[in-house]
Amino acid sequence: MSLASEPAQRAWGRLRDAPQIGLAAAIAALFIIFTARQPAFASSFNLFAMGRSLAVDVVVGFSQMVVLATGGMNLSVGAIGVCCVMCSGWLMHSLGLPPPLAFLLALALGATLGGLNGVAIARTGVNSFVATLATANLFSGAMLILTRAVPINRLPPEVSAIGSYRMLGFVSPPLVVALLLGAALFVFFSYSVTGKEMLAAGANPRAAALSGISVDRSIIVSHLLSGLLAGLAGLMVVVRVGAAMPAVGGEDWLLPSFLGPVLGGTALAGGSVAVLGALLGATLVTIIRSGLLVLNIGNFWLQLFLGLFLLAAVLAQRYRGIARARLE
Amino acid sequence: MARHSRRENLTMRLGVRNVTKAFANIRALDGVSMEFAPGEIHALMGENGAGKSTLVKIITGVQRPDAGELSLDGRPAAFASPRDALAAGIGAVHQERNLIPLFSVGENIMLERLPTKSGVIDYAAIDRRAREALDLLDLGIDTRTQVARLSVAQMQLVEIAKALSLNARVLLLDEPTASITDHEAAALFAVLNRLKGEGVAIVFVSHKLDEVMAISDRVTVLRDGRLAASGEPISQVTRSRLVSLMIGREERRAEIARGRAPGETVLELAGVATSYGHANVNLVLRRFEILGLYGLVGAGRTELAKAVIGLGEITGGRLLVNGRPTVIHNPHEALTRRRIGYVSEDRKGEGLILSHPVGTNVAMTIWRRIASVLRLVSPSAERRAVKPFVDRLAIKATSLSQLVAALSGGNQQKVSIAKWLAAETHILIVDEPTVGIDIKTKVELHELIGGLSRQGVAVLLISSDMAEMIALADRIVVMHDFGVVGEIENDRRYETMSKAIMEKIHGADAPQPIGHDGLASP
Amino acid sequence: MTAVRRAIGGDWAGLLAVLVLGGVAAAFLSPSFLTEFNIYVMLRSASVAVLVAFSQMIMLAVGQMNLSVGALGGLVAVLFGGMLERLGLPLIIAIPLALLVGVAGGLINGVLTSRTGVNGFIVTLATGSAFTGINLGLTESKPFHGVPREFVALGDSHWDFIPALLWPPLIVAPLLGVFLYHLKAGRWLLAVGGNPSAAQLSGVSADSMVILAHAISGGLSGLAAILAVAQLGAAQPETGAGWLLVSFAGPIIGGASLAGGSVSITGAFLAVLVIALIENVLVLANVDPYWVQFMLGALIMLTVGINRWRAIRAART
Repeated sequence: MSLASEPAQRAWGRLRDAPQIGLAAAIAALFIIFTARQPAFASSFNLFAMGRSLAVDVVVGFSQMVVLATGGMNLSVGAIGVCCVMCSGWLMHSLGLPPPLAFLLALALGATLGGLNGVAIARTGVNSFVATLATANLFSGAMLILTRAVPINRLPPEVSAIGSYRMLGFVSPPLVVALLLGAALFVFFSYSVTGKEMLAAGANPRAAALSGISVDRSIIVSHLLSGLLAGLAGLMVVVRVGAAMPAVGGEDWLLPSFLGPVLGGTALAGGSVAVLGALLGATLVTIIRSGLLVLNIGNFWLQLFLGLFLLAAVLAQRYRGIARARLE
Repeated sequence: MARHSRRENLTMRLGVRNVTKAFANIRALDGVSMEFAPGEIHALMGENGAGKSTLVKIITGVQRPDAGELSLDGRPAAFASPRDALAAGIGAVHQERNLIPLFSVGENIMLERLPTKSGVIDYAAIDRRAREALDLLDLGIDTRTQVARLSVAQMQLVEIAKALSLNARVLLLDEPTASITDHEAAALFAVLNRLKGEGVAIVFVSHKLDEVMAISDRVTVLRDGRLAASGEPISQVTRSRLVSLMIGREERRAEIARGRAPGETVLELAGVATSYGHANVNLVLRRFEILGLYGLVGAGRTELAKAVIGLGEITGGRLLVNGRPTVIHNPHEALTRRRIGYVSEDRKGEGLILSHPVGTNVAMTIWRRIASVLRLVSPSAERRAVKPFVDRLAIKATSLSQLVAALSGGNQQKVSIAKWLAAETHILIVDEPTVGIDIKTKVELHELIGGLSRQGVAVLLISSDMAEMIALADRIVVMHDFGVVGEIENDRRYETMSKAIMEKIHGADAPQPIGHDGLASP
Repeated sequence: MTAVRRAIGGDWAGLLAVLVLGGVAAAFLSPSFLTEFNIYVMLRSASVAVLVAFSQMIMLAVGQMNLSVGALGGLVAVLFGGMLERLGLPLIIAIPLALLVGVAGGLINGVLTSRTGVNGFIVTLATGSAFTGINLGLTESKPFHGVPREFVALGDSHWDFIPALLWPPLIVAPLLGVFLYHLKAGRWLLAVGGNPSAAQLSGVSADSMVILAHAISGGLSGLAAILAVAQLGAAQPETGAGWLLVSFAGPIIGGASLAGGSVSITGAFLAVLVIALIENVLVLANVDPYWVQFMLGALIMLTVGINRWRAIRAART
């Protein structure tokens, strides 16, 4: 019996079937098509703008992905995001804290809110759908009560400066952060003990528990991370618009949070994540959104298109899986 | 009696003729033939991978044969779906319950033919007709009881009643005694005998030799997709012949020499009561010793193990690990602080993560140990840590990345155990290690367990397989009804030990007749 | 007697107690609570919410979820408005047509979910986005104001404190009860929710039941949308924006099981009334309206927490 590393043939087969390839191909194709129709699509300004909005979508997707890993879901991603947004605004505006400190504290809030979700779910055994549905409203409600839905527009100039800073003419810092985050998450789930335990807990909680893994801890960590990432996404919006607005996040983030990961191959049932896939999925969505904008196809129709597209993508994955199984 | 007249002339003979079924070039069934005659309990036996479940799927209409055919009373029959098989008169009671939990017994029985009166459901008619169905088995359950409130055994009986009320003339039961108590099994067998008397053809799928010997009239044995025996009268078959039919050679008992003298006490339960319902459990586990925990299904052995590792609570008495009173809150503590491991009896549900690779499954218990300073586990470190155990257990997998779901049952069980070998626990509780495992692997695992004990791991072996217990254990603690009823030194002689064990169990309970002659011994 | 009990559903006595006690407390706290006008306002806002709750409830009954409840409602609302204002259709035609749109949307959801085997959560997330997209694309976020005056008057009319708008939910509730407890299709729907494979083995088509549930859900969303138009006096594209939460809050607080196959019609109705009561009290007490969202979240947490506590206690015995 041999335990030699996999033959190249098998590796190639796995690569070919991975959703990542299809996504990358679609991204490339659309990019070419849109640029052909409207050369301004590939302009450094448009790339920069896309990169900024992509960063937010990617991180929102990651925020959901880390919870999907343990077999749950987080409907309060948007609510936590907006809480962190307003918290940072208030810290900078009313307490006069310097942006780095305000951001750090806002992230801590995100982690705390996420942690609360995790503890509630782990300790009471309540379904994560219902629990986060409830906390989404608890958090949003609390935020609205405290801020009275008043946006905070006067933020220190450094904030918008980060947002408008361009590296190499078309790369925005948030995008770099998002990519680094992706690399970190890849390492986390592939190699770190906590990440691997989270995936085990998501795939089969009973088996994981009996093998000495603390499933509760995995769930709490996943929600804590989710809250932290939701907060990070919120802060990325703050630097982009240069203000703290209570309209950010909320239910708007629900679809994007699932779209990227699901398109990319993360399992809804838990136990398996695809970091690169989530990134590519978000990229595809951003390209489509930007393309429609640049081509002047009404922004209103974007929603329709996104919905149809998600359906088509999920169906395609499903039928590919079935076709492949039939051939074997 | 009206009941009797309904059954007359409504018997049916189910024939299987030269059936072949292949999945991706592997022949699960290769030209098998057999007949299930009315008025007989016909056992279907075979090791894991022998083709039993494929045959069951074909008979119940879930799959269609590639070649060969089924016949009913001599006429060819083809089922395109489970509904077709049902319509043709083949009723099945599967391993998982097929009832709607929040519906009443009556509604469940009448589900496909809910009676209506002027378009609206007629609940009175449901109760009436369900009552008739239950009366076929003399079942006293109220038809308005919610199914979720019934015991597993009662649910099974409801399913049988339902099948009969749908005019099932062939009744197939798949491992029916897997999750019911001995008491309930006896009641089930009484029902089956009655049905047999009324002309129903009963197909009894089981891996429990004792039961098959006790209640069936004929036995068919499958081995590697082919027939090893077809419809042999049970009176002409001995237990050892049955085993040799299943494995193709004489049963090789593992050579477990009693190696070293028992060492210090590593685990002790003193007057322990648990949240599962145990009361006053006393047992002592020593190093270099295999302590057997024998009992019939429902005795509470698995629950006791789970209480020890912290899944349940110990509500009374004391648990001592290495002489010190301890409280274990969860399996994580059990493993990391007390070095106690538990090989689950439910390998697919609790022992393994089927969707993950072999490497992950084996290394799960030791990630923390093999991680580097940054708490990262490199693939090569994992491979290095896992390979020795994979080799030692001779696990057949294409690579460490192969998903466990793709392995055979025996290899899956090996992975489940390898994980605990890797964890290097001091105490290992092994729960039903060889259920549904082919005999060759069974022997390998027995030798492994013996070897573990000789190396100093204190083994607590839970098993319902008398022969396995007697072959491996140094001492046997007998459990019944969530309590300990006796403890016996093992003299390794099957006849004396099995009698002694049974006496302990039956001392606590009035003897129950099973089948025609009480519990059979070979 | 058992037939009546069956139609009414599970144990909602607790909720009724909360409602009554809450009402009593409110009457003490605020003199304007027990006025005809106030009760009328409270019940009017509850009317739409009850239908929205029922729309999700029927999905929970079959063991699924529908995230497009609000989006479909919004779409039906604007199409309804468009029919009235742009096409000048009489109400007698526009109302059934709008309901049909709701049912059609539901059928799309149902067929996609059952035929493709894709998780209903994802399917309805996607269709929800699509419905909203069509909504926005058609209206460009501008509401239709050309709603016939008689219709708006109907929306305002009342008999003492009972608003006319309360009648649709009052009629739909027992109809649903008859459906789920006294008609074969309803029992089969609940059977699929309770144990899909067992139901299949008993000849019930899980696919058909899922499609049926979605169709009913869509129809109820549509009905809720029509009522919303009557209530607001205009067809707003934002209709349905907050429906998702209420659609789950009602059935869950009312005792439905998320696993499927177990719902309580009366429970959901009472739960919505309790929520409306709380909202009403907050408004009367001049409390920040934003407290409503907070309270809803807390209420769901509380309910689910109590249910879990009960379940854990029951398992221990």
